[in-house]
Amino acid sequence: MGRTILAMGGGGFTMEPRNPALDDFILTLAATREPRILFLPTASGDANAQICAFRCTYGERSCRPVHLSLFRLEHQRRTLRELILSQDVIYVGGGSMRNLLAIWREHGIDLLLREAWGRGTVLAGLSAGAMCWFEAGITRSAGQPAPAAGLGFLPGSMTVHRDGDPTRLPVFLDAVARGVLADGYAVDDGAGLLFDDDRLARVVSSRPGARAYRVERAGDQAIQTPIEPDLLAAAAFGLQRDVPADVREFRAERYGAAGRR
Amino acid sequence: MTSRQPQIVAFGGGGFSMDGNPLLDEFVLGLTGMERPKVCFLPSASGDADHYIVRFYRAFSPAVCEPSHVSLFRRDKGAGLGCDIATHLLAQDLIYVGGGSVLSLLGVWRAHGLDRVLAECWERGIVLCGLSAGSLCWFSEGVSAFHGPPTRVGGLGLLPYSNCVHYDDEPARRESYHDLLAEGMAPGYAASDGVALHFRGESLAGVVASRWQAEAWWVEEVGGTISEVALPVRWLGKSRPLTAA
Repeated sequence: MGRTILAMGGGGFTMEPRNPALDDFILTLAATREPRILFLPTASGDANAQICAFRCTYGERSCRPVHLSLFRLEHQRRTLRELILSQDVIYVGGGSMRNLLAIWREHGIDLLLREAWGRGTVLAGLSAGAMCWFEAGITRSAGQPAPAAGLGFLPGSMTVHRDGDPTRLPVFLDAVARGVLADGYAVDDGAGLLFDDDRLARVVSSRPGARAYRVERAGDQAIQTPIEPDLLAAAAFGLQRDVPADVREFRAERYGAAGRR
Repeated sequence: MTSRQPQIVAFGGGGFSMDGNPLLDEFVLGLTGMERPKVCFLPSASGDADHYIVRFYRAFSPAVCEPSHVSLFRRDKGAGLGCDIATHLLAQDLIYVGGGSVLSLLGVWRAHGLDRVLAECWERGIVLCGLSAGSLCWFSEGVSAFHGPPTRVGGLGLLPYSNCVHYDDEPARRESYHDLLAEGMAPGYAASDGVALHFRGESLAGVVASRWQAEAWWVEEVGGTISEVALPVRWLGKSRPLTAA
C-alpha cells in the first residue's frame, strides 16, 4: 500500500465550512468505503470550535469520525498507539506548528504517525497540519513569521496561506533564496498538494484561482513557478450529496420527513 | 532588589479550577506578601481553553490582584502583554499553572523556552503554584493519567521528589504510584484534592488544606513495601481576609 499525504495551504471544514470539496476528496483517498478518520486538533490547543466543525462535517459523511484530545482527560480506553494505528485517515488541524510538534513529541505521536503513514494511513492537514509533514515550514507560532523544522516525512519546505496571509511568503522566499530552507512549495488557501510517497502526484483545489507554486533557489533568488491544480468538482459532491441512501432511509423511517436531509 | 526565597505551592487539586472554595487561592496570594500582587495564569495544560481563562479572571479579580494570562497558542494574534513573555513572567509575584495534560504542558513550555524562564522566576522568589498538571510539573517526576493507565512522567525537576495528585480521589492513580515507587521512582509527596504542599526552596514548609480532613502523605518504598506517612495538615478554614493586608 502506498504512502499518501495531502498538504493543504488552507481550506477544508475549519476554513471553508460551506465548501466540502477538499474534505470529501480526503475520504476518497482512503481505500475503504467507510474510512475511519481521526482528527488531531492539537495545533489549536484542541479548540472546541475545530472539534465541532470536524464532527459536523464528517458526522454527515460515509466514514467513522473520531478525534483525539491531548489536553483534556477523556478517559480513552484505547492507547494512543491503538488509536492512531487503527485509522484510514488522519486529519491534522491548523494552529501553532511549534506547539503541535512539541506536544506530539512529548506523547510520542510523531513516531506513531510515521508508522501509520508507512502502513498506508492517509495523512492530511492544513496550515500547521500541512507544513508539519515537510522538513520545514514558515510558522507564526511566536507572532512574526519564521522558519521552523517539521517532521521531515516529505522532502523540502512548504509555506501556507500564500494568498490569505501575505506576511509569510516574503519570509519563505528569502529563506529559500538564502538556502536556509530547501526548495519547496507555496500554497494558497483551498489548494492541496497530494504526495504519493515523497513525489508530488497531483495538486487539487476547492475553488477556481487557488494555486500552488513550486519555489526553487536560483543563484541568490527564489523563483516561483505556478502549478495549475485540478479543480475538484464541488458540485458533484455538493452540500446535498453527503448522506448515504441507507442512512436517509433509516432517518425517514425513524424521524419522518424532518430527518430527510 | 530584595531577595526572596523560592516558593512552590503544589495543589493535589482544588482552587478556582475545581471547586468554589477560595481558600487555596487566597493562601497563595497571601504568600506573595504584596497588597495587590501581580498574578499570571498559565493555562497551557488545557490548550489555553477560553472558558478556563475566563474562570481565572472571575476568581482573581482586579480588586485583589493584577491578573494576566499568557497564551502560547494564538501568538500570531499578538500576546497582548506589551512585552515579551519572559519579561512579563519575570515581573510577576505569583504564577498560577492550570490543570490538564502535563505532557502537553511541558511540550508547549519547552517549545517556547518557558521551562528555563520559570526556573529563573522560581530562583528570583516569584511564587509558583498550580494544581494537577500544574503541580506535577514542578517535581522531578510524577504520575500522569492520560490516555490509558497512569504512567511515569518527568517534570521540570525544581523539586527533587516525585508527586501524585488527586491521591484520595482517583484510586487507580494511588495504585500506579505505589507500583512506580516499587519500580524505583524517587520517593515523594502525594496530595488529595483540596490539599496544597508548600515548599520553600526544596524543603516542605507546610501543608495546607481548603477542605476539612483532606490529607497529604510522604510516600516511599521501604524494604519492599510502600510506606505512607501522613503529613500534618493545616486547615485554612478560619475565614481570613483576602490578601492579608
